[in-house]
Amino acid sequence: MVGMKEKKRVNSVLFHLVSCAVGLLMVYPMLWLFASSMKSNDTMFKDAYSLIPEVFDMGTNYLSAWRGVGGVSFMTFLSNTVFVTVTGMAGCVMISLFAAYAFTRIKFRGSHFWFSCVMVTMMIPSQVMVVPQYIILKKLDLIDSRTALALPWFFGTAFFIFMLVQFFRGVPKDLDEAAEIDGCGRISILFRILVPVVKPALVTASIFAFYWIWQDFFQPLIFMSTPKKYTLSLALNMFLDPNAYNNYGGLFAMSVLSLMPTLIFFIIFQRYLVDGIAMDGIKG
Amino acid sequence: MAKSGYKRRDNIAGYIMLSPWLFGFILMWFLPMVISIYYSFTDFNLLNEAKIIGLKNYIRIFTADDTFRQAFKVTFIYAIFLVPLRLAFALCVAMLLNTKHMGLGLYRTIYYIPSIIGGSIAVSIVWRQIFGNQGVVMSLLSVFGIEQKLSLLGNTKTALAVIILMGVWQFGSSMLIFLAALKQIPNSLYESARVDGAKSLRIFFKITIPMLTPTIFFNLILQIVNGFRVFTESYVITDGGPLNSTLSYVLYLYRRAFNYFDMGYSCALAWVLVAVISVFTVILFKTQNNWVHYESGGDD
Amino acid sequence: MKSRMKRLAALLLAGTMIFSMAACGGKSDPADKATSDTSSNTSDNASNNASGDTSGDAKVTEAAKEPVTIKIAWWGSDKRHEYTQKLLDLYTELNPNVKFEASPSGWDGYFERLSTQAASGSMPDIVQMDYLYISTYAKNNSLADLQEFIDSGVLDVSNVDENILNTGSIGSKRTGIPLSTSILAVTYNPAAIEAAGATVPADNWTWEDYIELNTKVAQKTGEPSALNSIIGPFGDSNFFNYWVRQHGGMLFKEDGTGLGFEDDAITAEYFQMWKDMSDANVSPDPDEQSQLAAVGKEALPIVNDKAATTIEWNNFTSIVSGANDKLKLALMPSSFEGNGLWLKPGMFFSVSESSKVKEECAKFISWFINSEEANDIIAGERGTPVSSAIRDYMMKSGTMTEQQVEMFGYVDKAAAVAGKTPAPDPSGIAEVNEAFANAGNSVLYGQATAQEAAATFRKQATEILERNNAAK
Repeated sequence: MVGMKEKKRVNSVLFHLVSCAVGLLMVYPMLWLFASSMKSNDTMFKDAYSLIPEVFDMGTNYLSAWRGVGGVSFMTFLSNTVFVTVTGMAGCVMISLFAAYAFTRIKFRGSHFWFSCVMVTMMIPSQVMVVPQYIILKKLDLIDSRTALALPWFFGTAFFIFMLVQFFRGVPKDLDEAAEIDGCGRISILFRILVPVVKPALVTASIFAFYWIWQDFFQPLIFMSTPKKYTLSLALNMFLDPNAYNNYGGLFAMSVLSLMPTLIFFIIFQRYLVDGIAMDGIKG
Repeated sequence: MAKSGYKRRDNIAGYIMLSPWLFGFILMWFLPMVISIYYSFTDFNLLNEAKIIGLKNYIRIFTADDTFRQAFKVTFIYAIFLVPLRLAFALCVAMLLNTKHMGLGLYRTIYYIPSIIGGSIAVSIVWRQIFGNQGVVMSLLSVFGIEQKLSLLGNTKTALAVIILMGVWQFGSSMLIFLAALKQIPNSLYESARVDGAKSLRIFFKITIPMLTPTIFFNLILQIVNGFRVFTESYVITDGGPLNSTLSYVLYLYRRAFNYFDMGYSCALAWVLVAVISVFTVILFKTQNNWVHYESGGDD
Repeated sequence: MKSRMKRLAALLLAGTMIFSMAACGGKSDPADKATSDTSSNTSDNASNNASGDTSGDAKVTEAAKEPVTIKIAWWGSDKRHEYTQKLLDLYTELNPNVKFEASPSGWDGYFERLSTQAASGSMPDIVQMDYLYISTYAKNNSLADLQEFIDSGVLDVSNVDENILNTGSIGSKRTGIPLSTSILAVTYNPAAIEAAGATVPADNWTWEDYIELNTKVAQKTGEPSALNSIIGPFGDSNFFNYWVRQHGGMLFKEDGTGLGFEDDAITAEYFQMWKDMSDANVSPDPDEQSQLAAVGKEALPIVNDKAATTIEWNNFTSIVSGANDKLKLALMPSSFEGNGLWLKPGMFFSVSESSKVKEECAKFISWFINSEEANDIIAGERGTPVSSAIRDYMMKSGTMTEQQVEMFGYVDKAAAVAGKTPAPDPSGIAEVNEAFANAGNSVLYGQATAQEAAATFRKQATEILERNNAAK
């Protein structure tokens, strides 16, 4: 009995030791970023590789980040980003859910064709899509609007559809068949039976969607031209010109500020990954 | 396919459920794809009126472009190494984090940070710091008696390895997907196995792995697609250098499109890439009946 | 299959209709601000209307000037964004009929966005343009010819050096007005040189002197001393162009269809010089170079007193003055018959061909380069002002930093010995630069001899230039 306990303790120490060692590798860039955001801009790169600032200038950097860039304040960028992220994420998860349900639980004509379309959208490099997309959005008079930023996400993405399809396939069909016999409609089967089972996957999808849209860069860069409508990732891009005097301090401070919401979102939602609703009692 | 295979009611329901996605697909993907296919047959340079030049772009890719070959080679090697390494690492860590220990939430968060921080300037500086010529890794190597003039990032033979390592480092998304899948495995399966007296290794191979196969399959496809489309790592850390040894395919077509004003050619490159990825994906989809285990009874 | 296509077409049609209806609805009702978010045009209308209402009485005094909105785009760092916005506000104050829609950007992505806008015919009215790309835009008729406004006196370029003004002329069109001048220079660090017991460069120094000086400093510090900005000696073709011009040639033919010099030995010699220096640890090896490229100019060892020289444009001292205000400028070394220096336009303002307010744009550009008031605000941040009158004014005003005085003074010194400014970089220059960098680095890596690399560069450059500049 004592041996068991000992073994458990050793196990636990080992677990934490390994986890911390790996963890340090993971957070190092974040620590560096945070440390640099406290360094004085002019001496920033004199001690570029040190985590302890030689000259502290946190106040200036964060104040400059807060004031924003290009005459637009941090709060404006933040509220734009929140708007685009929340709208995009909500649409993305919802619509992907419907599509994945259709692909796995309904036998309809053309489903294979459309599913291969889903896959192709995943394969084509977005770098060549952006010009045609620009032209279409321009025709729809949506260029330089926040709608244009949410739109590519709002209608679902291949990644989530494919992911949810795989998770739905892991759920036995007898579950919905039983519900169907009980007289449930498709929508209530989806929400009452399937959604609870794949909740971890939905949480994962939401986490991904959140930070992907949050830091989405290339399409917004091309689509937007008015700083007042910029998201944070575009604001960060406004800081740098390799041939001019650069405010790295402000840039790093704003980077830290803009990473925080994603991190907080993750910390809150990763809890739901802990207790996934297992299919106990229903199966077996 | 016999017409009787589909019920009218199902057809309607299917399209209703699919329609929101379909709408977005046509607008944001289908039309742009058609346009980009059209571009790939033209001399479009973004500023001119596109003129159709037939198959010339495609012929140029395969007969007169050494950089294409280099970029393809780099990308292929990247994908071959990245996919298994990242998946194995993600699965191991997910298994580790699926145990019952204190502070799991913290570790989950920490391990996910590399994926959040993405390809920012901070990452580029820090990776140079670690693998560059004054970096930690070089000092470690010299401790073991391996003295080299060039750092791992500066050496044309090893730079790609560092880029691959960075890809593995950002394993957070795959890890989360595995975690979600692990949570979905019913506890009752484990319990009954334990009652039967199965050892943990046996449980892993007889229950965990089969139950995970749909997710492994998903992650595999996803990582292959992402591996072939790698852009950020080589753009941010090395910008393709030294001597194009880390020039990824997408970085190359990006340069073609926007720096060299060669959009038509770039579109042709993109569709060649889609064709290559499709081949791998189709092969994997064909094999899935052999090894992927679906509780729902699989594809109909 | 057929019915599938039909269904798709129907969906497509429905989709477009819904969207165009939404857009139309928004447009016809500018008061409906809540939905105006979806359309930039809507908000344009709304703001125009609003300003029309409030400035009703201003109109009476301002005669019958049409209100215009100028869209203007530039790249830069946050400092430039801030003062340029001030500048635009000031201009609006002076000319109440002119409003601006500014779109500032970092360097990254600026040209990606611009070319996409050009592809759909929606370039901003005024765009900040770089030497690297102006030929390509001009050749594809994306930029307006501003000569008519110079002729009509709207755009005053009387104080701009003819040589530098012509860099904005592509073919027969004047497609860009240079805003600033830059000239290659050796920036040196007196402290580092003194510490090594060497003497600071004289204006008539040679490449031998250059190498000797840097060797001394490198031996003292143990670190490479002969720097070439953050991009290295092969980072772009400007440094090499200087080398070629010293030999009496020019890098590109006037019409851009090929290299402008015949002798590959010139290229080989350049590669070999840097190879030797790199091997002796006098200049960075490619590995160290990429390390330097990862961080900003402020991090160059010369700023930290660890290197003696860097070859740069003459605004470098001014850029890094926050981190080190002791750096000085010397003329480029020269060992050959020709003088390689030339006045390079720092950046241009161009007006897009699709603009409907070209004359107002020209007026603004004229104000930008000639107004003392404007240049008080710009304060030389975009480089040495292109107008000689403004340079004199700023020198006299006494508001300049020591580094700016150094930078201005250098222009005068260098302009006196500079040769003819070459034709603007040809189309395809970005690709040529890439080929050049690869050729040069292959020598440093020992994968090719200097001669082989020189031949490879010629072959690739010729192919690229022919493809991009052949008469169509």
